[in-house]
Amino acid sequence: MIHFHQINKHYGNFHVLKDINLSIKQGEVVVVIGPSGSGKSTMVRCINRLELVTDGELIVDGVRVNDKSTDINRLRRNIGMVFQHFNLYPHKTVLQNITLAPTQVAAMSKQEAEQAAMLYLEKVGIADKADAFPSQLSGGQQQRVAIARGLAMKPKIMLFDEPTSALDPETIGEVLDVMRTLAREGMTMVVVTHEMGFAKEVADRVVFMDQGRIIEEAEPAQFFTNPREERAQMFLSRILNH
Amino acid sequence: MFIHFSVLTEHLDRYLIGLGGTVAASVISLIASFILGAIIAVFRITPVKPLQWIGTAYVEFFRNIPLMLIAFFVLVGLPLLTGAVLVPFVSGLTALTVYTSAFIAEAIRAGIQAVPKGQMEAARSSGLTYIQAMRHVIIPQAVKLVIPPLGNQFLNLVKNSSIFTILSASDLMYQADLINSDTFDTFSTYIFAALFYLILTIPLSFGIRHLEQRSQNVKGVEA
Repeated sequence: MIHFHQINKHYGNFHVLKDINLSIKQGEVVVVIGPSGSGKSTMVRCINRLELVTDGELIVDGVRVNDKSTDINRLRRNIGMVFQHFNLYPHKTVLQNITLAPTQVAAMSKQEAEQAAMLYLEKVGIADKADAFPSQLSGGQQQRVAIARGLAMKPKIMLFDEPTSALDPETIGEVLDVMRTLAREGMTMVVVTHEMGFAKEVADRVVFMDQGRIIEEAEPAQFFTNPREERAQMFLSRILNH
Repeated sequence: MFIHFSVLTEHLDRYLIGLGGTVAASVISLIASFILGAIIAVFRITPVKPLQWIGTAYVEFFRNIPLMLIAFFVLVGLPLLTGAVLVPFVSGLTALTVYTSAFIAEAIRAGIQAVPKGQMEAARSSGLTYIQAMRHVIIPQAVKLVIPPLGNQFLNLVKNSSIFTILSASDLMYQADLINSDTFDTFSTYIFAALFYLILTIPLSFGIRHLEQRSQNVKGVEA
C-alpha cells in the first residue's frame, strides 16, 4: 500500500529524512515513535505530499506520489489525515466540516453527504454535536470530529500526526478508543504518537526513528521488551521510567 | 465671530456639487481599487515567481510615493508618454485607484496569510484543490481579518479624493477653492468643507465599527 524506497529529504542544509525504506501493507497499523525532531511527522506528511521528498521513490496505492503526472488531489481522496491541532474549519459547523470534501471533491449530494456524516459522527460518539461549532467542543471532541472528517472520504489509508499530543490527559482515551476501533476494522493506519500503551496494544509494527533515520522496525511485543538497537533502548528507558 | 454662515447658505449648491463629486469619486474608486487590489493580492501569494515580483513591485512602488506625485504623473506624464489626455475626473480616479489598490492588496494579502497554515493543509489533504480550499476554507476566514484594515483604507480614500482639486476635477475641495476665491472668507469656507467631509466619514467610521463587531460575534469564529 505504501512503499518508501531510499527516500531522502533536505530542508536547505538540514537532512531531515535519510535513506528511508519502509513498506506498509493494506490493513496494517504502523506506529512511528522516536524523539522530537527525528523526522516522524515529516515522513508521514510525505505520504500525501504535504511534504515533497528530495529524492527516492514513494509509491502509495500504486501511484508514484512525486511524479509530475500524478493527480495529487485524486490520490489524497484515498488518504485521510488527522493533525495534532485538529485543524477543523472554525467557521463551519461540525457537520459542514465533515461534508465539505465529500460534496466538493466526491460530488456527493448534500443530503447523501450529511447522512454519511451522521453515521461517522455516531461512530466517533458525538452525533449530538453535529450543529455545534468547533470552538464549542473539547479538544477530544474536536479530534474525534477530525477523525470523522477524514473517514468521510472513505479513505484506504488514515494518517495520524500526533493526534493526542495537544489533548488534555482525560480526553486522550476517547480519541484512542476511536482509533482502536478503526484499527480493528482493518483500516491501514500510520500513526505518529508518544502513546506507548496504544503502540503496544494496537500496532502491528513499531517503527523507531532518530535523526532522520529508521533505526529499528519490530513487532511491538519484541520492540518494547527487547529492542535491538542501543538508541531505542535508551529512548524506551527514558520514556517508560518517568 | 470668525465663522460666517452666509458662506454656507449662499454657496450651498456648490458645496453639494462638490459633495456629489467626492461621493462619486470615492465609490467608483473604492470598487476599482478593491478589484485591482484583490488581483495584486493574488499575484503576491501565488507560487508563480514572476507574478509575485510584479505584485511586490506594484505594492512597494505605489504605496511608497506620495499620492500627489501619482496625480501629477497621470496629469502630465501620461499625456507625454502616451498622448492620452484624460478628463480631470478620470485622471483623479486613476491616481486614487492606483494608489489605494496598493494598500488594499496588502490588507487582503495579510488577511489571507494570517489564516493558520493548518487550515490549508487540512483542506488540501482531504482532496480539495487549491482554488476550492481558498474559496471554502481560507477566504471566509480571511474576510473577518480584512474588514478592519479595509475600512481604514476606505476612510483614507474618501479623504484622499481631495487631490481631485489639483487636477481641476470637481470634488468638495475643488468647489471649496472656488467658493474661497469668490468670498475671500478662507476660514469659513474650509470649515464648512471640513464639516461636509465629516458628514461623509463619521457615519462611515461607525458603519465599519459595526461591521467589525458583527464579524467578531459570528458564532464559532475565534478571534
